[in-house]
Amino acid sequence: MTWWRRAFPLELAEEGHFSRREFARFLAVVSAGFTAGIGYLWLRKKPLEGGSDPEPGHHETPVALGLASDLQPGQSRLFKFRDEHDACILIRTPKGELRAYRQTCTHLGCAVRFRGERLECPCHEGFFEVDRGFPVQGPPSRPLGGITLETRPDGTLWAVGELPKPTDLPERVATACPREARTEVTS
Amino acid sequence: MSLPSRPRQGHFTEAALGITLLVLVIQLYLFETVLQSVLDGHRTLLAGAFIASLALTVVALVLAFKAPCLDDDPGA
Repeated sequence: MTWWRRAFPLELAEEGHFSRREFARFLAVVSAGFTAGIGYLWLRKKPLEGGSDPEPGHHETPVALGLASDLQPGQSRLFKFRDEHDACILIRTPKGELRAYRQTCTHLGCAVRFRGERLECPCHEGFFEVDRGFPVQGPPSRPLGGITLETRPDGTLWAVGELPKPTDLPERVATACPREARTEVTS
Repeated sequence: MSLPSRPRQGHFTEAALGITLLVLVIQLYLFETVLQSVLDGHRTLLAGAFIASLALTVVALVLAFKAPCLDDDPGA
């Protein structure tokens, strides 16, 4: 008698209907599924949602965002970039700088919003800093996708492309976003 | 407690089953890592990950379908 038989002395009438080899065949099919999944990711040209992988030579269609002077520090505006599903957020930081990011949280895809001095994902209380979109608190581990902005001579603001993903993701330090600051944002 | 004897093809050693499960665990980790990398915009490791996953799948398939020498009751 094997050790697990002694540990779990249960006898089921149906247990003989499913052999180890059948179970191993099922596992092999699951294994093939994993391989097919990786192959699909390999062959897929369009980036996954939240991913940043524009095709070489791909030209974005610029999107007009209105007058740059319309947005005051601390204000935000939503817009669509590539298509009607590509929700983005334009913000003017408290320092007065304009930034635009994909609105999709890199954790589970909820829409982030601009609160105080940070971008906040209300689903799981993830926070991103506004300068480069880095996650500073909560479950997200990847930065928000950034959108390239262009101010034209007539004062209009345009979204013209996608920023490359920053690779120098800093360690989350308490000084970057102290936990006690959270009460200031949510209150 | 005695289990009814099975046909030879139905027997499968615990070692073979353990290797198959280990292959699945490695593939699960590999898939999660690859997905994380793709979401981060890094696609360079996809080719290598696919080849590694394919090799592990071949191992699992061989064990499941073509491994009579691993049966634990060759005389049955």
